[in-house]
Amino acid sequence: MWSVEQVEAIAPTPAALSAARPLTTLTKWGGLGADDRAVWGSCRGSGAEPYDTMVDHVGVGFRCTCPSRRHPCKHVLAMLLLWVSGDVPDTTAPPQVASWVEAREASAGRRGPDTTFPPSARDTAASASAPTSDAISDALPEGEREPPPEPDRDRARDERIERMFAGLTELDRWLDDRMRTGLADPALAKYATWDELAARLVDAQAGSLANRIRRLAGLVGASPDWHSDVLAELGLLHLLAQAGRRLGSLPGPLADAVATTVGWQVRQADVLCGVPDTDTWVVAARSDTREDRIEVRRHWLRGSTSGRWALVLSFAAYRQSLDTSLIVGTAVEADLHRYPGPALRALVGTRHGDPIEPARPPAVDVVAACDEVGVLLAAEPWLDRIPFTATAAVAVDGTRFALTDSGGSLPLIAGGRPLATLLAVAGGGTVDVSCEWTPHGVVPLTIHLDDHSIDIGPRADDSFVSAA
Amino acid sequence: MRRVTRTSTQTWGWGGVTQVEQWRELVSVAMLGTDRRNPPEPDGLIADLVDDTVRSTPSERMLAQVAATVAVRRAGVLPGAPLSPVDGPGTDDRPVCVPAAAERWHHIVSSWPVLEDEWMLSLVMNGWRVPPDLVPELLTRHRTDPIRRARAELACGPLAGWLVGHLPELGARGAAGAQPDPSADDIAELPPLPIPPDLEPLLHADGDVVARQLARAIDAGMLVHAHRAVLVNLIARMRPDAPGQVASALEAIDGGSPGFPLASVLADLGRTRQRMLDELSVS
Repeated sequence: MWSVEQVEAIAPTPAALSAARPLTTLTKWGGLGADDRAVWGSCRGSGAEPYDTMVDHVGVGFRCTCPSRRHPCKHVLAMLLLWVSGDVPDTTAPPQVASWVEAREASAGRRGPDTTFPPSARDTAASASAPTSDAISDALPEGEREPPPEPDRDRARDERIERMFAGLTELDRWLDDRMRTGLADPALAKYATWDELAARLVDAQAGSLANRIRRLAGLVGASPDWHSDVLAELGLLHLLAQAGRRLGSLPGPLADAVATTVGWQVRQADVLCGVPDTDTWVVAARSDTREDRIEVRRHWLRGSTSGRWALVLSFAAYRQSLDTSLIVGTAVEADLHRYPGPALRALVGTRHGDPIEPARPPAVDVVAACDEVGVLLAAEPWLDRIPFTATAAVAVDGTRFALTDSGGSLPLIAGGRPLATLLAVAGGGTVDVSCEWTPHGVVPLTIHLDDHSIDIGPRADDSFVSAA
Repeated sequence: MRRVTRTSTQTWGWGGVTQVEQWRELVSVAMLGTDRRNPPEPDGLIADLVDDTVRSTPSERMLAQVAATVAVRRAGVLPGAPLSPVDGPGTDDRPVCVPAAAERWHHIVSSWPVLEDEWMLSLVMNGWRVPPDLVPELLTRHRTDPIRRARAELACGPLAGWLVGHLPELGARGAAGAQPDPSADDIAELPPLPIPPDLEPLLHADGDVVARQLARAIDAGMLVHAHRAVLVNLIARMRPDAPGQVASALEAIDGGSPGFPLASVLADLGRTRQRMLDELSVS
């Protein structure tokens, strides 16, 4: 039996889950049933005929005869919510469900798509009982399905671009309204103000911007100078909205960067087809952050030969596991496949050996670290995390701690155990420390010593995901 | 936006006065809204960036100016002025315990907290200190119990007081903060653990005798899971040379024996204590 969180985790958008809630009443359903493999039922919708809905809760696949383009649709989600709340009786699967499950098993054996249904009703097969991070962020289900015919694909892409452009236009109009009415407008203190915009951006296929909007909502009132932080972020959103509507006239790498920052999804399979960046990659740092209901783990890798940084992301919803295969302070010879654009994100492909330990990235002074950060920010001003490794000491600047050397200082935004550990290890001396630059200060992630590295990056809550 | 062609003579980045003032003006206008106040006229770099765009309304001009200013500020990130590093803690001549001992502490805390007092005491008595990265964890863990706090501070050396000076949240709380320092005798004495009278003779018996008796009783089902707590106490307080032998005897119990699950758990305790004492032997 699944949990409610697992049902939430497969929802394509929060809006889909909201749309499903009104359907979680038994009066809207007929022929509900479940067995140890599937859940099925017929939902009375707006059409003349009820929608036949079925879910393979073991292999994780969905089918619904409704015309929705979203998978899973609200009928699937509603039926699963009824099932997890114990409202679906155990019974024997009707013939059409049994044959669907058999067809799924057969196609799973072939590792091919389920072609017994039209594309609009084709399964969205996520791995196991809950989608992996990349299923969430990277449209992995699409990657596992057979691509639609070429004309369909072109039409779908055109429609998607059209929706995205419309969404960006609406975003810019919304930003303009904010400028007119001012940041003191009480509406900004209401989460709904931001959430409604985020939901519209999700509908417009600009999911990354929607996440940005939701993070931005958290800045309102969060600090004494929140107006400045919010204004800066609104400026960047304007930059992205403008750039996103001019994708065709931007240079290739910049266009790629803007597209992915706005929310254009790139399939993992396509990334893995790219030319690999083979190197001995030092795992310099790790940091976990919660974004909405997903835990995000960032591994910062640095090429020993190329000196280039790379970012490997992993995601986990409730009770799922984050990637633990990359260990801070080790190096691994591997093929990295980079996402389009100048950004650092990459996927780890083939690994050519076991991790080498200990390993540490080269460190620079504070001024050189700022140069490194500035180069990346000049290319993509909307980046909000940039890695660097510096040799520096800890200093106190008023009420705030900072990293410093003879050339300059950078404010730290660490607290608690990470700051205490950095302070204890550095004492009054210098240490090599890998950090993330953020607009609000520097987050220390790893202290590199001669014989080992100490991972002090923010760590996911073990009660939420497995993050050992 | 077109490329910047003019070299700025202003300071751009953290600490730049002109840039800070310009940004403050933008924030002031943004708070009130352009319906009430017009945006400032762009200047310098920002004017270069936005002057070729047609923007009819104040809010549009404001948005363009904000976007350009943020982009320039970010790309021009500069460090703040150099600061004086914090003064270091006093010197501590004691050697740092071996890494395996620090790792053992983590295992003890998560699996066998009954051994932690002895771990700390052995470390202090045998002339070791903990590695610096363990200091915050020890100070955080032992805030309220006066004796354990005192042991932790001894294990950490001068670094403990120095760190608390910078981060007062690591300081002692409750009884540990209010009561006078415990005596050396209190610190050097392990807290008693309840052990039933019929097991007490095993506390001081030879290792091979204890190992044989425990293994036989567990294998035969005379000691079962219900006795786990007192057996844990026994192994945690038996003679220091005995845990290794007990662990070996318990590890030898057949996997099909009904006592195997209990034996394997207690074997881990015995092995942990034996290794702990080896790692923290006299430096």
